[in-house]
Amino acid sequence: MAALEAENARLQAEIDRLGRTLTDVSERIVSGRLTGELPDNFLEQFSQLPDRPLEHVLRFLPALQVAQMRHVSRRFNHVIRKCSKSMPKKGSKGSVVFKSCNAGELTVAWIDDRSIQVAEKKLTGDEVALSELLRFCISGSIYFGEGLSAADKVLDQLSKAWLTIRPEVVVFAGDLSQTSRDSLRAFLVKVEPSIRRLNFQYTRNIDDALLSDDVIGAAGRLDGLMIMPMFLGSKLRDINIGDRTLLAMADADHISSYGSVAGCSSITPSGIRAFVEKWIKKERPKPGRQFSCCRKIQQLYELSFYNCANVTPAAVEEACGDLLKKGTMMAVTRASSVSEPGERNGQQVSFTVLCPSSNRYLHIRFHIAPNPAHIVFEPRPVNFAKDKFVFNDYVNNHEDLDPEMEDDDIDDYDGYDAIDYDDDEDN
Amino acid sequence: MIQLCSNDDPPVSFTVPRKAVELSKTIKTMLEDLEGFDMEQTPIPLPNVDAPTLELIVKWVEQHQDDPPPVEKPRVEDDDSDDSDADDDQEPEVVIPEWDKKFLPTDDEQKNQLFKLLNAANYLEIKPLLDIGCKYVADKISGQTVEWVRDYLNMENDYTPEEEAKLKEEIAWAEGL
Repeated sequence: MAALEAENARLQAEIDRLGRTLTDVSERIVSGRLTGELPDNFLEQFSQLPDRPLEHVLRFLPALQVAQMRHVSRRFNHVIRKCSKSMPKKGSKGSVVFKSCNAGELTVAWIDDRSIQVAEKKLTGDEVALSELLRFCISGSIYFGEGLSAADKVLDQLSKAWLTIRPEVVVFAGDLSQTSRDSLRAFLVKVEPSIRRLNFQYTRNIDDALLSDDVIGAAGRLDGLMIMPMFLGSKLRDINIGDRTLLAMADADHISSYGSVAGCSSITPSGIRAFVEKWIKKERPKPGRQFSCCRKIQQLYELSFYNCANVTPAAVEEACGDLLKKGTMMAVTRASSVSEPGERNGQQVSFTVLCPSSNRYLHIRFHIAPNPAHIVFEPRPVNFAKDKFVFNDYVNNHEDLDPEMEDDDIDDYDGYDAIDYDDDEDN
Repeated sequence: MIQLCSNDDPPVSFTVPRKAVELSKTIKTMLEDLEGFDMEQTPIPLPNVDAPTLELIVKWVEQHQDDPPPVEKPRVEDDDSDDSDADDDQEPEVVIPEWDKKFLPTDDEQKNQLFKLLNAANYLEIKPLLDIGCKYVADKISGQTVEWVRDYLNMENDYTPEEEAKLKEEIAWAEGL
């Protein structure tokens, strides 16, 4: 009986649909507004064209409109979703900076790899318009600067499946009081294929429950991790990051990798030992692989611990002693420098482990502020005016650029840079 | 000379220089496959193309037969893409030449003719023609509202109200820019 009713309903729906279509067609005949001639052949209808011309049209549209065009019909939506990956991407390198200098206002600035500001948008109220990123292949950095720049509403939009973002560097340098763990995690999952460095530098209001090994783990393999909250004048809050994150960082493979953490009381000396063991194992030259003896660049892995309750030089030395003293492949130095008054454990200490065969160093440092080299400064456009003196070669190289380009809307900046998929190879 | 036949009943045939007709990759490949046959005498039927459209195609290829061949760029390998037809030969920019601007059926009454032309260019793989045609359509709908585009492209809004509301919520932030 129920089946019959369902069938009846289905048929009724079908009749209604046909009825509507018929009315529609009659209206068109009456008003004659449909191009003067009725379609007598499916192929005359744009909607019946194969996907390819449709995709082609979409490729020529401004990025913003592509997002809106999803409203047109299911077909459009489907094609847009399908081809958003292969859509030509504008600007293969560059930075996107989110800032919220005034409450309720978000500024998005896109700065290309020559430090030229391509576009800036001010978004007020609750509207977060990021659609210009749709076609961006951000293989540079995403910088969440001043204010509530990385609030959930921003991260949620950036995490949308159909946006293509491939940042190598993500920096949270603003206020995370309106950022939830779920949104942050989803965002890190989204950027996982490309991200290499993740910095929380002088970040305000990191909630106790925001960061965890699981959340950081969502970003996959990292070559650099910095967790350095802002704690001017106040007690450093405990950050719930432990040995698991640390151990995962041993997989980093970069000319200058780093892990700088502050206030992570779940990191233990035995965790550091596990890290060192893993690092030594990894750094041991593979058989048959020759390292050039005249290699000039010293490769450095730097671990810094700042106010991590369970990590003291003495405890680490005790836990890793034999590893640090192993004379065969490691040279060990212990450097004690002048103590900083007022610091817990009051001592700046660093251990250095050298792997001579690969010319790689591991530094383990305590109570030392993060190496400035690892702090990512907010990308800022280089200001230059065409009438001004040429100060240096850098400016000189770019004086042929259209000076108006800075102010141009992105939509006019319709370059068709090839997509850089290199990052996918080492997933 | 090569003869092309439209899908009309009776078919309308056009005689086109081989050089011009080879702007269509589809026909070029076919002619290469049939090397040895006397193609001068065998009309090629084009089941997807009607006479008015074929006439336009013939006009276009004859005009452009002496164009320098487009520079082949190395393909960008898209390893995580699942669609096989992703054709990523990306020109830096498509500019519609003056002659083509006049050539394209751009009056609103000829809209369907334009779409038929796009379909034929796609089917015959005449990429430069497809490029300028699609560029024209894109320029036309650029900056227009969703309703206008639907109307212009004769597309039906086939979303249910619920789906539409959900979609609207999802991309609400894209508007107001």
